[in-house]
Amino acid sequence: MTDKLLSIRNVNVSFKTATGLRHAVHDVSFDVGNGETLAVVGESGSGKSVTARVIMGMLAPNARVGEGTQVIFDGEDIATFSEPQLQDIRGRRISMIFQEPLTSLNPIYRVGDQVAEIIKVHRKLGKDELKSEVIRLLKEVQLPDPEARYLQYPHELSGGQRQRVMIAMALANNPELLIADEPTTALDVTVQAEILSLLRQLQKAHNMAVILITHDLSVVRAVSDHVVVMRRGEVVETGETQEVFHHPQHPYTKHLIASEPKGEPKPIQKDAPPVLTAENTRVAFKLKTGGFFSRKSVDLVAVNDVSATIRRGETLGVVGESGSGKTTFGMSIIGLGQKQNGPVTFQGDRIERLSRKELQPYRTRIQVVFQDPFSSLNPRMIIRQILEEGLIVNGIGASSRERLDLIKQALDDVQMPHDALDRFPHEFSGGQRQRLAIARAIVLKPEFILLDEPTSALDLSIQAQIIELLRELRDKHDLSYMFISHDLKVVRALCHRVIVMKSGSVVEEGNTAEVLEKPKTDYTRRLVRAAFDVVA
Amino acid sequence: MNALTQLDMNAENANHVSLSYWQLVRRRFMANRYGMAGLIGCLIVLSCTIFGGFFAPYGAQTKDRNAIYSPPQLISIISPDGELTRPYVRGFEEKMDPVTFEFTFEPSDNKIVPLGLFVKGEPYEILGLTFETHLFGSLNGVPVHLLGTDGLGRDVFSRMMYGTRITILMAVMVMAAACVIGTMIGVSSGYFGGTYDLVVQRGVEFVKSFPDLPLYLALVAILPRRADAMAVFVMFAGILVLLRWADLARELRGKVVAIKSVEFVRAAVAVGASDGRIIRRHIIPNMSSHILVWATYTLPEIILLESFLSFLGVGVQLPMVSWGSMLNQARDIQALTAAPWLLAPVGMIVISVLAFNALGDGLRDAMDPYSND
Repeated sequence: MTDKLLSIRNVNVSFKTATGLRHAVHDVSFDVGNGETLAVVGESGSGKSVTARVIMGMLAPNARVGEGTQVIFDGEDIATFSEPQLQDIRGRRISMIFQEPLTSLNPIYRVGDQVAEIIKVHRKLGKDELKSEVIRLLKEVQLPDPEARYLQYPHELSGGQRQRVMIAMALANNPELLIADEPTTALDVTVQAEILSLLRQLQKAHNMAVILITHDLSVVRAVSDHVVVMRRGEVVETGETQEVFHHPQHPYTKHLIASEPKGEPKPIQKDAPPVLTAENTRVAFKLKTGGFFSRKSVDLVAVNDVSATIRRGETLGVVGESGSGKTTFGMSIIGLGQKQNGPVTFQGDRIERLSRKELQPYRTRIQVVFQDPFSSLNPRMIIRQILEEGLIVNGIGASSRERLDLIKQALDDVQMPHDALDRFPHEFSGGQRQRLAIARAIVLKPEFILLDEPTSALDLSIQAQIIELLRELRDKHDLSYMFISHDLKVVRALCHRVIVMKSGSVVEEGNTAEVLEKPKTDYTRRLVRAAFDVVA
Repeated sequence: MNALTQLDMNAENANHVSLSYWQLVRRRFMANRYGMAGLIGCLIVLSCTIFGGFFAPYGAQTKDRNAIYSPPQLISIISPDGELTRPYVRGFEEKMDPVTFEFTFEPSDNKIVPLGLFVKGEPYEILGLTFETHLFGSLNGVPVHLLGTDGLGRDVFSRMMYGTRITILMAVMVMAAACVIGTMIGVSSGYFGGTYDLVVQRGVEFVKSFPDLPLYLALVAILPRRADAMAVFVMFAGILVLLRWADLARELRGKVVAIKSVEFVRAAVAVGASDGRIIRRHIIPNMSSHILVWATYTLPEIILLESFLSFLGVGVQLPMVSWGSMLNQARDIQALTAAPWLLAPVGMIVISVLAFNALGDGLRDAMDPYSND
């Protein structure tokens, strides 16, 4: 049990890019014992996935593995293996699960055939044997009705089910080592917990070693025996999970552990006036069905009769799984989405029927921050142009110098240095970009900001900083937020009140503390469980 | 922000050079040898269009009556005595075969024509200014024809240089006009969508379904016999534009449909930017790399099409000189066997098509945001 299944020593990887050689991984060494779970944690760009790919021998063509890199698997240095030798090991003795279950399966083959393919490569089995083996695997990963799944195509399965299929493929040949590269990041919160507990059970049943790559510390704490903390391509701390969590040595580890969103929002004034009120919002998309001659149009109701009031200085959380209509609701009431007819009152003015032109005076007062900071900043503009645009189109600031002063104030507000002004978005990390996206909103001095999952594309340690920033800005400028999220941890730290949405309707609403502590519906209870106690 | 991340940001931002997208593209492009070779080739071809008169020793219509179908001459620097001298070519001794009545040209050691650089000769114009100095020329007044002459005694090399001007002008004009029309129609149709998009896209399909060759031939049929060469040239270019913009419009429309739902465009709507501003500041800059690559691929296509049609005699008309219309002289077998050097423009066409394609390939690779090597 204690002897090492895999030891990697002095792993160095650099990438050749147009701007020169970039070191991605520097002198990384760690061990994994038989049947053990090792978690590799770090922010995106810390080199954790690259390290995993070194083990699999699956690096990008522009990667260079440094001298002296050793990957000792079961007594042999597989870093020196040829491609055919590696192929024999991959999928049989070491297998891997990827982050994106939506793209890891080939859409044109049946699920069962894809699992069977993995088995056929390494083992000789008859046709019937093969099929029963595949069905056994699908049953093992707890897919309901495995015989039917065998014949289905990937698009017929949900994200969580596809990840289960991926796990079945990884397990197909009883590997000794399973590498899971952020296996739950792309999934809904409630599904994440199920997948993790499945992995845990399977590991026990098969006595596999698992390398779990993640940025989520709650996952690490719940499932791993040992942990390796990586930062900028180097290992900053390793040790037993409990030990590292209780007595972190490196300042970065301390920072990571301290970075879970904490605290509660300051209560607002009792008599705060409402800023934005939406009543009976109903959003429907027209779908055309039927053949050419029997064309019918069917309404797909995305948001059904949802009402919300946000008072000055208040943050309303809108939570739900993906597809519950929360973003559609938020975008519709501020006039950025599908038109709807429910009354929306902003500071006493009815705005739901206004055209895009008529909404113009409200644009500076109602702002929005989008989910993905990588696509919300135009890659061809420098930061100054991005921040200045809203000022120019709304005629704020008489001269470009005056506008520059306003922009600098906004940068100060989001704690970004002024030299960011002449740079392009791609030079910033995800967290920095999200700060810039927030700066674009607050430079217009809005009264209300719609925050559409502003933290869900970011690493956990950065999420906390963004939440802290949003809180500071709210207090400083007396802002009101509508905060759309699926992560109740973040919601608890930021929101005064919360509405829980499911399939376009509100299932529960109330003060955040009440809803989270005493959820009334099963759905809310499941969301709460997923957020606060990760693994069963 | 806490101290640790502040520290990181400072470390990251110190001595950090800010590279724009286009600077990155340039770096990646410069690292690509094939693309660079293409770029150099393109620059040479383009310089011929401007400085053609300087490179060419004679005018495009200048006739040398003593040299009809004179073959190419080889530049030599070793004198007949075996000594190193200044570059020269040998003139021809004309003989007639008494049996076949065929003229043959024999290089003669007695007719040495010394060559020099920057020789004064026929006046020519560059950008409206008149010059007399040519890159090279003969020093003793005896004409030199490096690539031979045609049936009227005109210097093939000189005509080829002048032909570059018309051919490239045609290609650039057609490309630029198609580019502007295609971009305007494609971007607006993708951005505004709805019925307008539907109508425009059907229009694009209609244009694309046109058989182009009969259209070109029909053009010649409807033009008056004595039409001005310039008028034919413009009509010809117009027809090429008419059939070329549709591809770009369709490609751009698809890209715009994708990009208009990206969050930075929605963010621009949220700050209140008008449609015109969004198209100018957000959409077109993000299309520019695609348009540029399209342009470099379209140029060689038009060069080929122009030479093909002019070869058939329906394109550029006399007295204009283009590569295609020069090839038109070599269209019958007799002329071809007697004077194969009349095919010299083929070399220029091949070089320029390869060069523009290499440039386009290099640009496309350099602009791919996902390639990182």
